[in-house]
Amino acid sequence: MLLRHEGFRRLCRARDLLLEDREPAPSIVDLAREVHISPFHFIRQFEAVFGTTPHQFRIQARLDRARQLLARGQHSVTDVCMEVGFSSLGSFSTLFARRLGEAPSAYQRRIRRSVQVPGELPAAITPGCLCLMSQLPATAFSRTVRSFREA
Amino acid sequence: MRIKLTSIMVDDQDKAIRFYTDVLGFKQKHDIPVGEYRWITVTSPDGPHDVELALEPNANPAGKTFQEAMFKQGIPIAAFEVSDIKGEFARLTAKGVAFLRPPAQAGPVTLAVFADTCGNLIQLYQPA
Repeated sequence: MLLRHEGFRRLCRARDLLLEDREPAPSIVDLAREVHISPFHFIRQFEAVFGTTPHQFRIQARLDRARQLLARGQHSVTDVCMEVGFSSLGSFSTLFARRLGEAPSAYQRRIRRSVQVPGELPAAITPGCLCLMSQLPATAFSRTVRSFREA
Repeated sequence: MRIKLTSIMVDDQDKAIRFYTDVLGFKQKHDIPVGEYRWITVTSPDGPHDVELALEPNANPAGKTFQEAMFKQGIPIAAFEVSDIKGEFARLTAKGVAFLRPPAQAGPVTLAVFADTCGNLIQLYQPA
């Protein structure tokens, strides 16, 4: 697929719109109309560029934000659920657990234990990737060294 | 001192490893769980001892802001050298990759730009 400048610009605009908190959240068809792409092309092009459908992108963005709010430890699960745009606590918790492997309340308890400064995000959930290197098992590097020597 | 490793931010590590191996054709070198994330690196089958590329989670809000801004401005975040840019363009297009710029001569190189589905634009270049 070849996107020209204007098409690319429209998709970027659509991504910004998907990240906005609007109540009620606009449907995907409304968003497509807003960026002047047919709904069919919108979904197809969005997926080719961002690797996910607009609908899934919006859900993931909301869960990411929920995760950050929970980690800050200053809001209840119910507050976070409403804040990120879910109207049902049940569907929020189910979706969160399915994507992140644990319920929002369990996630919050676990992360709270590692929070050093109240209100700040713990480094464990916002890594700069090269920091992850320090937590690798020693074998990760012995393999690298060996393959280097074999070269 | 040697340059053995570089990294690129990705918005989803599962999606990234699929794109960088299945679509681009790189080989996974490491995939090790670290806390909530994974240490994933790939190398090129054409240069298995070249620099390793780490697929870094963009969970840090500062990183995400940077990544989104560069993307929106159409600025590639990495460049990979190819020996047949038109062939790569055809191969990747057939796999559904979205190009913003088809292969075109630019000074001493031929360039093309595509989206990596993980929040980045990547430049391919073929030296003349």
